[in-house]
Amino acid sequence: MSIEIEKTFQAKEPIEQVWSLLSDPRRVATCVPGAKITEQVDEKTYKGTISVKVGPSATDYKGELEIVRLDPKNYEMEILGKGQDVRGRGSASMKMTSKLRSLEDGGTEVTSVSEVNVVGILAQMGSRVISEVSNIMFQQFTKNFQAQLQRPADAASPEAKPISAASLAWAAAKGAFHRES
Amino acid sequence: MISRTSPEIGGMGHPIKRKEDLRFIQGKGNYVDDVHLPDMVYGHIVRSPYAHARLKSVNTEKAKALPGVLAVITGEDLAKSNLAWMPTLFFDKQMVLATGKVLFQSQEVAFVVAEDQYTAADAAELVEVEYEELPVLVDPHKALDPGSPILREDREEKSNHIFHWEVGDKVATEKAFVDAEVKAKVHAVFQRCHPAPLETCGCVADFNAATGRITIYLTSQAPHVHRTLFALVSGIPENNIRVVSPDIGGGFGNKVPIYPGYVCAVVASLTLGRPVKWIETRSENLQSTGFARDYHMTAELAAGQDGKIKAMRVKTLADHGAFNAAAQPTKFPAGLFSICTGAYDYPTAFCEVDGVYTNKAPGGIAYRCSFRVTEAAYLIERAVDVLAQELKTDPVELRRKNFIPPHKFPYASPLGWSYDSGDYDAAMKVALDTVGYDALRKEQQEKRKRGELMGIGVSSFVEVVGAGPAHTFDIAGIKMFDSCEIRVHPTGKAMCRMGTKSQGQGHETTYAQIVAQELGIPADDVTVEEGDTDTAPYGLGTYASRSTPVSGAATAMAARKIRGKAKKIAAHLLECSEEDLDWEPGKFFVKGAPSKSKTIQDIAFAAYTNIPAGMEAGLEAVDYYDPPNLTFPFGTYICVVDIDKGTGEVKVRRFVAVDDCGNIINPMIVEGQIHGGLTEGLAIAFMQQISYDESGNVQGGSFMDYLIPTAVETPHWETGKTCTPSPHHPFGAKGVGESPNVGSPAAFVNAVVDALSHLGVKHIDMPIAPWKVWNILKEKGVVN
Repeated sequence: MSIEIEKTFQAKEPIEQVWSLLSDPRRVATCVPGAKITEQVDEKTYKGTISVKVGPSATDYKGELEIVRLDPKNYEMEILGKGQDVRGRGSASMKMTSKLRSLEDGGTEVTSVSEVNVVGILAQMGSRVISEVSNIMFQQFTKNFQAQLQRPADAASPEAKPISAASLAWAAAKGAFHRES
Repeated sequence: MISRTSPEIGGMGHPIKRKEDLRFIQGKGNYVDDVHLPDMVYGHIVRSPYAHARLKSVNTEKAKALPGVLAVITGEDLAKSNLAWMPTLFFDKQMVLATGKVLFQSQEVAFVVAEDQYTAADAAELVEVEYEELPVLVDPHKALDPGSPILREDREEKSNHIFHWEVGDKVATEKAFVDAEVKAKVHAVFQRCHPAPLETCGCVADFNAATGRITIYLTSQAPHVHRTLFALVSGIPENNIRVVSPDIGGGFGNKVPIYPGYVCAVVASLTLGRPVKWIETRSENLQSTGFARDYHMTAELAAGQDGKIKAMRVKTLADHGAFNAAAQPTKFPAGLFSICTGAYDYPTAFCEVDGVYTNKAPGGIAYRCSFRVTEAAYLIERAVDVLAQELKTDPVELRRKNFIPPHKFPYASPLGWSYDSGDYDAAMKVALDTVGYDALRKEQQEKRKRGELMGIGVSSFVEVVGAGPAHTFDIAGIKMFDSCEIRVHPTGKAMCRMGTKSQGQGHETTYAQIVAQELGIPADDVTVEEGDTDTAPYGLGTYASRSTPVSGAATAMAARKIRGKAKKIAAHLLECSEEDLDWEPGKFFVKGAPSKSKTIQDIAFAAYTNIPAGMEAGLEAVDYYDPPNLTFPFGTYICVVDIDKGTGEVKVRRFVAVDDCGNIINPMIVEGQIHGGLTEGLAIAFMQQISYDESGNVQGGSFMDYLIPTAVETPHWETGKTCTPSPHHPFGAKGVGESPNVGSPAAFVNAVVDALSHLGVKHIDMPIAPWKVWNILKEKGVVN
């Protein structure tokens, strides 16, 4: 199951500050619900885990994150993540391209396009569920990311908790039935 | 003509209420999941998330450590007893639990047994399986490409090709096409569907170490054959295996194969010495058990300018998934697909089918159809409509011009069948009159002028059912006869045991009516019992509309044997010779002196109390019936649809179904069968598909995506009938349960295409969801 997700959000902070956070996988990971970087393999490759719970289905992906392209000049980056569920219930991969743009008010706009490929039980739920789940994850990510920006770069940051099964499933269901048209 | 018995006797033709419904509507049925045995434990299957992956390791330690878990069985464990693979019903083998690699999503990988089903399900989550993903083959059209992965490493032939099968006269057909004035061609995909019976599959395996016997309560349409296969595969002596099919909540072909879960439960019970229950979830049923169809077909018709069909040419690709688990007679790799020449009279045809493997669930079962007859009927009925479009003629007129005329029966079809009887135009005429065809065409003309979309679809199908003659038909080598044993008790009541197995067809009523018809014992006094292999005579089971044609015939034959003996006893009681006796349902009487008579009840009592010298006591008989030919039910269905231009939604305004299944046993049951089958046909035409994405993820694996019609979606069905008895069947019946599923998809699709034909639309593949129609309307500029 392959879906493309395009997202945009804004931050009050200037572009350099946003870029420095976004291009640091260790710090960005703390903003992703349920994600954790466990090991740095080399300059561009990291190992980590991410837990996604949808209704009764909890999937713990374990995998690698690779920074394919980092272009500080144009504030563009491309990362590739791949993981397998530790209990053998499927795999997921994601290619995400992000681009920053300075706004007139001094803030920054972040645009990301992700191609997500899911295999396994999660994929059977169909794109309607996966899109809703990614919407919610993205909202939480944005919130965490904006909070992280306001923290000094060297301050220890709390890890984002995996989202609870019930709340995510409920939120996804609400999203599915109350779609804005 | 069948004589009419009194309502008290309730023989053939009486619309008596189904005897079995009393317990069903009170929730007193006894299904496999209702079986509760002392010390029973529960199984749960760990399944593959991948469509194609190397199995690197299966770690069961954590699962085994969970309190309440009794065993975790893997493919490697089964391999030690040579049970990791099992034969399918069609010259292939299938993994019970995966070893080496997995070949479809939801494939069985491990079997967890625990004290209760919740612990079993929890423990299944703890089984750690390491996979290495392999390239996935989803599209059957790519199966034979050089670059495609070879799926079956276990086979000697390193190819995804399973079989090539052809029938007919290729040379003559080619020539007919060269000479043809008009040609029509349609490429039609009959999508992968699933029978989705209300009750999913399951079993309780109960091995008794003290007696050495195993009892298997099984959702089985063919309990006797399953007992034999269990004996052959497991090595357990067949007398020590008892298969019991209790009440079955719908089968539709889905419960003909043997599934890995059954084998695992048997192995677990043998290992643990306790009864093991395994019941599928809905998603497991949809994702791993026998699917139907997935036929990718091209049909061509050659015709003269006058509309006379000269030849048919068919090329088909059959997607069987990971294993060829088709359940069909061994001489027919594409089932009875060669019925595809239909109701029409032309001299030549050629048909070829190639089967391929893909990374999908295994199967190719006959979903409420006599082995690929639905695909065949759909194809010819679509092709005839396309030909009508080519000829710019009315599809009804074209059909009537080409129907096999009644005087040509028995009719030798160009692909080798001998149609027993038929009067196709008679059924067509009733359907046209009922629906008011000419007025509808006029209305359609007027609506088109106003830009409204309305269509009329016709399907004049022919079926081939009741397999079958033993010389040609066998399942896994066992000839396709079927059986009935009747015992008449001293008080004149009877017990009837069968080789078939009802899954909701109403056998407890219809077989009793046959006995009532033949012996005059009231249907109420006849108990019909099926499904216990310890007590019932051997038979091949219920599928392919074979119960009435084969076991129904056996019932009549067994009853006639009893009547023969009853006549001797009656002569003894009336002190006359047999020649002096006449029969009317329920009694023998002396010719010319009707007051001198003995009822069947008198005779039954005498059979145990006052028998003539030299005669064996008792009044019972068994018959194993080998039909001389198949039967060929037919009918004409007409569907009227209106299309909402704004949404693309198709609304079935009317549906007239005229069926001819020969002589009818119980008209109410026949009508119920037709309603059910039409509703399934509606779902197939508009709602259902088991599809896969490019990674082999099932996209129709739950009722969220695989839609079941409710009363809201289901239109009002108008039924009608004609009666052309089968000349070779003991009471002229043909079988009807499958006709509506076989005949209706083409009627629905033809109606939608007809509504859009003036826009140049010639075909739309099922399921015809609103978005498909809306896209066509957009493409054709009808909507913006």
